[in-house]
Amino acid sequence: MDVRAQLAMVFNLDKCLGCHTCSIACKNIWTDRKGAEYMWWNNVETKPGAGYPKFWEDQRKYRGGWVVKGDKIKLKAFGKLSTLLNIFFQPYMPKLDDYYHPWTYEYAKLYEGIEEEDQPVAEPISLITGKKMEINFGPNWDDDLGGSRLYAERDVNLEEREIIRDFGNIFMFYIPRICNHCLNPACVAACPQRAIYKRGEDGIVLVDQNTCRGWRFCITACPYKKVYYNWNTGKSEKCIFCYPRTETAQANACAHSCVGRIRYVGVILYDAEKVEQALKVKDEELVNAQREVILNPRDEDVVKSARKNGIPDSWIEYAVRSPVYTLVKEYALAFPLHPEYRTMPMTFYIPPLSPLIAIQSMLYDVDDDYLIINKFNKLRVPIRYLASLFSAGNEEIIVEALNKLMALRIYMRAKNIGENSGDVLKKVSLNEKDAEKLYRLFTLASYDERFAIPSAHREYLEERDAEERKGWRGIGVIRGLRGGI
Amino acid sequence: MLDELIFIALPYFAIALAVVVTPYRYISNRLEWSTFSTQFIERKTLFWGSIPWHYGVVILLIGHLIGFLFPSTIQAILSNLSMLLTLESIALTLGLLALIGSFILLMRRALSNLESSIVDYILLFLIFFQAVTGVYIAVFNRWGMEWYLHTAVPWFYSLLTFSPNISYVSALPLVFKLHVIGAFLILAFLPFTKLVHVLFLPIGFVKDPPILYRWVKRGD
Repeated sequence: MDVRAQLAMVFNLDKCLGCHTCSIACKNIWTDRKGAEYMWWNNVETKPGAGYPKFWEDQRKYRGGWVVKGDKIKLKAFGKLSTLLNIFFQPYMPKLDDYYHPWTYEYAKLYEGIEEEDQPVAEPISLITGKKMEINFGPNWDDDLGGSRLYAERDVNLEEREIIRDFGNIFMFYIPRICNHCLNPACVAACPQRAIYKRGEDGIVLVDQNTCRGWRFCITACPYKKVYYNWNTGKSEKCIFCYPRTETAQANACAHSCVGRIRYVGVILYDAEKVEQALKVKDEELVNAQREVILNPRDEDVVKSARKNGIPDSWIEYAVRSPVYTLVKEYALAFPLHPEYRTMPMTFYIPPLSPLIAIQSMLYDVDDDYLIINKFNKLRVPIRYLASLFSAGNEEIIVEALNKLMALRIYMRAKNIGENSGDVLKKVSLNEKDAEKLYRLFTLASYDERFAIPSAHREYLEERDAEERKGWRGIGVIRGLRGGI
Repeated sequence: MLDELIFIALPYFAIALAVVVTPYRYISNRLEWSTFSTQFIERKTLFWGSIPWHYGVVILLIGHLIGFLFPSTIQAILSNLSMLLTLESIALTLGLLALIGSFILLMRRALSNLESSIVDYILLFLIFFQAVTGVYIAVFNRWGMEWYLHTAVPWFYSLLTFSPNISYVSALPLVFKLHVIGAFLILAFLPFTKLVHVLFLPIGFVKDPPILYRWVKRGD
């Protein structure tokens, strides 16, 4: 057993209202720089929808992630030889227009325009060339357009496209996305310069700005398209999990600013030796295999191995009270996004509940049996769609999780109005203590309960100057003229 | 006097810059050490420029280097006329690829919406100029592979042993001198510009395990 610690995040999609506060918090701190205008390390997209960059889930086009070949897992896009042969041009890399062309407006014109009959207009200008441009697409262009023929209908997760043509069937929900800080990161494996690395202590994946030479293989390799090319510095950048904050035991900017309190951050312990094996299983078994990799921090053997590997006691304590462990492993409520990309992502999503559709104006009877979902029930968000996103097609485990969420609601509602909820909890193998615990985590949980982040105590570990250290990691700043001299 | 400038002063000046400035830049500021790829902004034309240019020039540079490192072996190989013909044809093809590629890259800079600095233009003009003189030599001063071994190679050896002897090359035609000037100007620009990207050919990753870990406590 090779026990390592990892910081991980859970998103409760049942509560995400798509306000983009997380994106703005992230933007203001990290990507408000030249060359990074188009980057959204944290973005929120409407599902079904195009996403960011456009249709990023279409791996026939972008070739991200890993595939199983024989008894090995290999990068989908390039082997080692083809990496060298493709170094002068990236055939599968998304271009700027696949994200969007960033722009601003000529606000000065409003003040400097000559006096005439028409009002002066602030026309849009490109943030890259500075020239006037026409806006055809932008960030969240398809926000809330769950029934769009142009975007939503082309969502690769939507197997039955007709479903959203009928107004009565239209559905949508939001997915906030950050870098998943995967256990088997494709970006790390793809970098020929070895500039991207996973931090041993907390599993955060970073781009060393001093080593990166801008070969851009990471951008193709990441199936989530969460590594970005800074056209100004000529280097790759990505979400840094706000490590300057997490190292000092503060929540990430996106998580901290979330008004819906949908995010949970915590430590998990995992067995690094089991990772590869867990990625070679069939698609439908991937989620369960990934859960097996995550270890129980209360297990004595695990704690012993963790100590042997130098994981500090404070981290083991935090792993015990980690909300991520509770939601992902203990109650199996949270799922990785697209596990079939085989990067073993370390952010997890609790699938959203949705109403049952009233078929042909027939109202359904509200009884306990009916409210417990099976996959033939007509939920507004199809189980198959959720399974395509979160479990590589395994509908059963999605149904299990949704049933737990539903049972929890029935139980708490009955409790609040003094009714008897019968054996609804038992049906989903929960007890009253579990229900109270989950209810608290979903509703009342305080900052410290939602974010169990241990300090990294780098002040004891490192003597290097903090500014120097941070300047080298994650983001870079151009000092001279771009391109030379 | 002009020959001394071209064949002694300029090479020493360029080599000195490359040897001194490159490590200084590596130590002092690696944040600007990048290929500065513009594929992200414009990719259609780049494909037809970057690929022919790089494949052409990389193989040709290796050819120049092999001739310099193993002159007697190459001499033996080239004594077979059909071998000389084949290699010359391959080299000319690669030269044309580099010529077309660098021309497309230069035009792309001038015509597309890229944010360009003066350095981008200087470099692109230099490599285009170098491809033009190279192809010209290949076409009009035939069997360059052969005479290269008896002119440029011994001259460059004499430079490296600090006993410069320009009599090997001073009688060569003007276009050869231009080719030499271009080469050493490029070398002189190299440490100051994005051209430094050629100095780190990523080869090490081939034998590495896929996932790279760095540990703070181990000082990585």
